[in-house]
Amino acid sequence: MTIEFSLNCEHVSIDVDPTKRLLDVLRDDFGLTGVKEGCSEGECGACCVLLNGQLVTSCIIPIAGVHGQDVRTIEWVRTTRLGETIIQSYADGGAVQCGFCIPGMVMASYYLLSNNPNPTKKEIRKGISGNMCRCTGYDLIVESIYLAAKRVGELHKARG
Amino acid sequence: MSEKLHIAQNLEDALLFRKENDCIVMAGSSDLMVSAYQGYGALPKFDKPVLLIRNLEELIGVRRNSDGTVEIGACTTSRQIVESPDTPWVLKQAAGRMGAVALRNSATIGGNIANASPKGDTPGPLYLLDAVVNVMSLDGGRRSIPIRDFIIKFRTIDLKNDEIITSVTIPVSDKDMTYWFYHKIGTRAANAISKLTLCACAKVSWGEVKDFRIAATASGPVTNRSRDVENIAIGLKFDELAAKASEISGAFDKVISPRAMPEFRREATRRMIEFFIDKVSKNSYKKFYN
Repeated sequence: MTIEFSLNCEHVSIDVDPTKRLLDVLRDDFGLTGVKEGCSEGECGACCVLLNGQLVTSCIIPIAGVHGQDVRTIEWVRTTRLGETIIQSYADGGAVQCGFCIPGMVMASYYLLSNNPNPTKKEIRKGISGNMCRCTGYDLIVESIYLAAKRVGELHKARG
Repeated sequence: MSEKLHIAQNLEDALLFRKENDCIVMAGSSDLMVSAYQGYGALPKFDKPVLLIRNLEELIGVRRNSDGTVEIGACTTSRQIVESPDTPWVLKQAAGRMGAVALRNSATIGGNIANASPKGDTPGPLYLLDAVVNVMSLDGGRRSIPIRDFIIKFRTIDLKNDEIITSVTIPVSDKDMTYWFYHKIGTRAANAISKLTLCACAKVSWGEVKDFRIAATASGPVTNRSRDVENIAIGLKFDELAAKASEISGAFDKVISPRAMPEFRREATRRMIEFFIDKVSKNSYKKFYN
């Protein structure tokens, strides 16, 4: 079946089995390996992407589900000002150890800060509650997202 | 087999495919894709064609009808349910605790009902609120079935092969009751499958208990509610309610039939009911949640 959708702001078309998971299409057919497979059941958040601006886990969505829709991955988010700020804050805050969960974690951070630019630490924890990290214990990730929010706020202030 | 998967273009197209094919109806896909998973790199396995309805605009949204009831489209996601000002409070509590952020952007209320899992998050509030499930078939065939009848037993629903769940109608609104209670017991704050959930509400007016309801999930093969038990409270003077707490919790204990960890589930259910009645009797909270 031919599936057409917008992938990272570009129109794409692919002939593929319609039940193939969005995760597998992104990785195998488009080479977007920033999206990771962790639990395969929508609970660990490693495969998070934005579907029509909403954070979703791509391992539980058949590719047919994005026909005519808008999909954005970490490869797009990293090019945005907010994405850049989050990634730099993760680096500065020492939030990354093995790194496997980080693309999904950045996607969840991006989704959180897009909807709530000034979150409390409790709201940050809730925002990334669907993303599992087995290395860090989360504290440094939470602090880094908090730092990113402050930096984005400062950017906005500087712009007036 | 015809098509392996059909993307419904509109509701009529979906109903036509449904009529002509023995198929699996897929909405948010958050459960069906997990059960069809075959391992890394393998295609999911479905033993019937799949009818995909997740993006049907006709089935998405929460709206208040002119008669005051609230209607929620079958493909409305948990996030959309939480964000709507028309969603009853107790249903918001359940939808807002389903899975985690990303899952709530996929999972739908229609799918949660169709799963007929005793641990589903939304059936508890829907039983409590006397919700009605609306289904449709081609050529205008429509049925509206109370959820307590629609979910026949564990994993079994009253849906014919040519029908699709289109919406759920909720006749009870927040202002119809004086007190509300929602408590989900899970192992963690996110991604928790309910170990036990209790929803309850009571209406007190002119010093008398006018209505009283309790619904418990994960305490038997289906959500439990009993009008016989609720009738013990209904009609009581407000200051008589506290004295009836143990009688009510004892009667409800005979209704539930937990399979795993029955001692825990019975004890926790009893304590939550008595806690709710205590709070109502003391007028401590209008809305209580954990």
